[in-house]
Amino acid sequence: MNLAIKTARKSGLALCPQCHKLNDMDPMIGNDTRIQCIRCHGMFYSRKPHSLQYTLAWNIAALIAFIPANLYPIMILYSMGIGESNTILSGISEFIDHGLYPIAVIIFTASIIVPLLKIIGLFLLVYRVHTGVRLRPDKHSKFYHALEFLGPWSMLDVFVVALLVAVVELGFVTSVAAGPAINYFTLTVIFTMIAANSFDPRLLWDKKEGCENAKEENDD
Amino acid sequence: MTKTKNATQLIACQQCDALYDTPILKQGQSAKCTRCGCLLAERKVDSIERSFFWSIAGIILSVPAIYLPIMGVALLGQYNQATLFDCILALIDRGFFMIATLVFLFTLAIPIVRLLGAFYITYSFKFNRLKPSLLYFFRAYHHLDNWAMLNVFMLGIVVSMYKLLDDTELSVNMGLLAFILWLICSTIASSALDQDYIWQELENEFGD
Repeated sequence: MNLAIKTARKSGLALCPQCHKLNDMDPMIGNDTRIQCIRCHGMFYSRKPHSLQYTLAWNIAALIAFIPANLYPIMILYSMGIGESNTILSGISEFIDHGLYPIAVIIFTASIIVPLLKIIGLFLLVYRVHTGVRLRPDKHSKFYHALEFLGPWSMLDVFVVALLVAVVELGFVTSVAAGPAINYFTLTVIFTMIAANSFDPRLLWDKKEGCENAKEENDD
Repeated sequence: MTKTKNATQLIACQQCDALYDTPILKQGQSAKCTRCGCLLAERKVDSIERSFFWSIAGIILSVPAIYLPIMGVALLGQYNQATLFDCILALIDRGFFMIATLVFLFTLAIPIVRLLGAFYITYSFKFNRLKPSLLYFFRAYHHLDNWAMLNVFMLGIVVSMYKLLDDTELSVNMGLLAFILWLICSTIASSALDQDYIWQELENEFGD
């Protein structure tokens, strides 16, 4: 890993996140100063300001919303007038009872593993960037991209419920209603997506470089 | 003065801020960052042409994909079928306004706006009608990148079909075919769009 590599920031340049144009940056200004891009005229910052705080805040909000999302029923199935409500987890165990293992695995991955992995992963990234302990920017930035990619797939359960509510509408015979958990679950997904968006992967490399420099100074 | 000259010859990695000389790429080639391995720059093949025609196909297909029923169920002589639009209406009926809004945005509004956006941009390039307002337009286009979820909805259709197959008679309608084709068109239309090239051209045209 070549840490002596030149970055745009150190060369007095800033990259516009929208059009990827390099802009000249006054070296005196800090992270919190807005720069206007000369190409697309959009406003941006050299690094996302307060990135860690925003990520942490959205992440905590996602974690809180995830609790009622699992406690309340997500779907209520009425057949012959009798209602049977299912939470996310009991819905999955029903799939297993019916022997639909692939579907059970897909739903479990999309609605339990991915949101939890995103929340825990982002906490970990924020912690590592903040302290600089055992920071591996190459590994961690790949991990971050995986988290970012997986985000929208958590919406799967919401779409399934929306479809079932619309399709299974046979009056008294059978019908499906959405439960309150769907609101909280959607909020969890949206919050984790915003949290991932707020994180700036360039901070991983900045911090690593900062740590290396500090170490060298100490060695001298 | 030397600095401004530098800035045009250099590019930086979006993910780790490493600085490189601008690579000279042929169509179909791409450059990767040596530090974090992310995509640095690429030149896509026939970007404008491909994106233009795929987006036209996508815009046309969006109509049947939304208004034709995707699937139907039958049980004890009762039959019901639903379109993509019915999903949203059903959610509004039951009072789930937030979910209805979000499903509307992620599966209808944003994919259509993205298709229209890709169409407008490629149309302007193809017929040489470049306007300064395109700068703002294309910048806004990027903000929607993460929020189109047609592919997730497709998986949702598959999962709910499995679920219904178990205890009802399931029928698949034309809407599903239209939806799959719509998904394919919009994916290709947006991935064929060469953003580096478009920004470069816009800069040459309107840069100061």
